[in-house]
Amino acid sequence: MTAQSTDRLIDVLSATAAPVRPLRSPMRRALMTLALLAALGVGAILLLPGSNPLATRGARGQARAGMELAAMLATGVLAVIAAFHLSIPGRSRHWLALPLLPFAAWLILSGVGCYRDFIRNNSAEPELGQSADCLIFILGASLLFGAPLLWRLSRAAPIDPLPVAALGGLGAAALAALLLKFFHPLTVTFLDLAVHLLGLAIVIGLTALLRRRILRSA
Amino acid sequence: MTGSHRSDERWSELLAAAQAGDADAYRAFLTAAAPFVRALVGRRVASEDAVEDVVQDVLLTVHRIRHTYEPGRPVEPWLAAITARRAIDALRRRSRLQARELHHPIAYETFADPTANERETVVEADALGRLIETLPPGQKQALELMKLKQMSLAEASAASGQSVSSLKVNVHRAIKRLRLAIRKDGDA
Repeated sequence: MTAQSTDRLIDVLSATAAPVRPLRSPMRRALMTLALLAALGVGAILLLPGSNPLATRGARGQARAGMELAAMLATGVLAVIAAFHLSIPGRSRHWLALPLLPFAAWLILSGVGCYRDFIRNNSAEPELGQSADCLIFILGASLLFGAPLLWRLSRAAPIDPLPVAALGGLGAAALAALLLKFFHPLTVTFLDLAVHLLGLAIVIGLTALLRRRILRSA
Repeated sequence: MTGSHRSDERWSELLAAAQAGDADAYRAFLTAAAPFVRALVGRRVASEDAVEDVVQDVLLTVHRIRHTYEPGRPVEPWLAAITARRAIDALRRRSRLQARELHHPIAYETFADPTANERETVVEADALGRLIETLPPGQKQALELMKLKQMSLAEASAASGQSVSSLKVNVHRAIKRLRLAIRKDGDA
């Protein structure tokens, strides 16, 4: 190809270009999306049977459980914000690190909770059936949060879709795990934690695998 | 104020006007941006032909995602990120092709004298036409525009809305598919 054909291409592109509406700032789009996801979450808590408002529970180790919930929420919110920033060309790759700290805090606090639970009830048999329900819940709720989130991210047709898809998947799965807490005992066993992490890995893996199709990558 | 800062401000104004539908501003932006893109691509891609190929791919990507530029922000990082991504894509595609394929300039000719193949070509044209009809729409369109209508990548891309890289992949897959189908027909 020659520079002359590039000039012809410029002629064709400029002659056929229709007006476009610029996307709003990534932060604003992230906050609007989070508001939508919050409305969906509240709707699910009100409409789905079996929810158990957190405030009415008197679980032991409530301070740790509260911090764990805060870490889950922060992971979800910051992953969504980072995904919107990285969907725009030229934004800093440092956004990738934004949800890592709360994610690490979530894992550590969950691990501590599991260990304490194990010490208290080390004779208790793990219940596989209930954990399978948790996995199905996390996958279903991730779809509930992930579908509108990825649709809004796809408006930018990200040129490098892998980090955007992975962060979107992490955000949806973290918010799904948070929603699960409204239907699940605050104390979790190691099996519960493993199932939650498996759900997270499945969601992130699927979004990463299908990234070009889902995000309509340019 | 530096020259680079001034040119970025000018680009920002042009691109914002282009988003609003100003064709002259858009042409001026793309014309001014092309040498910048060419210089960036030249640092990563050695072959001159391949450089121009990537430059056109970058311009088509800019065209497709021009709505992602936020007016008022610097244009250079936005454009440089698109350019870097397209250059990386081109290098990956090239290394994949080199790992799997061997170029042999006369491999497609049965005989040295091209007229010796004519009878066979006429007889098989119908069969080939039927096989092309069975291709997936994207591959069929790419093959028709680039191989039958002899359009350049840029022209085919503008006509079809497919990116340059999609066109290349689709033509490659279409030819591979046709080759397999022809081989199956020959074996049957």
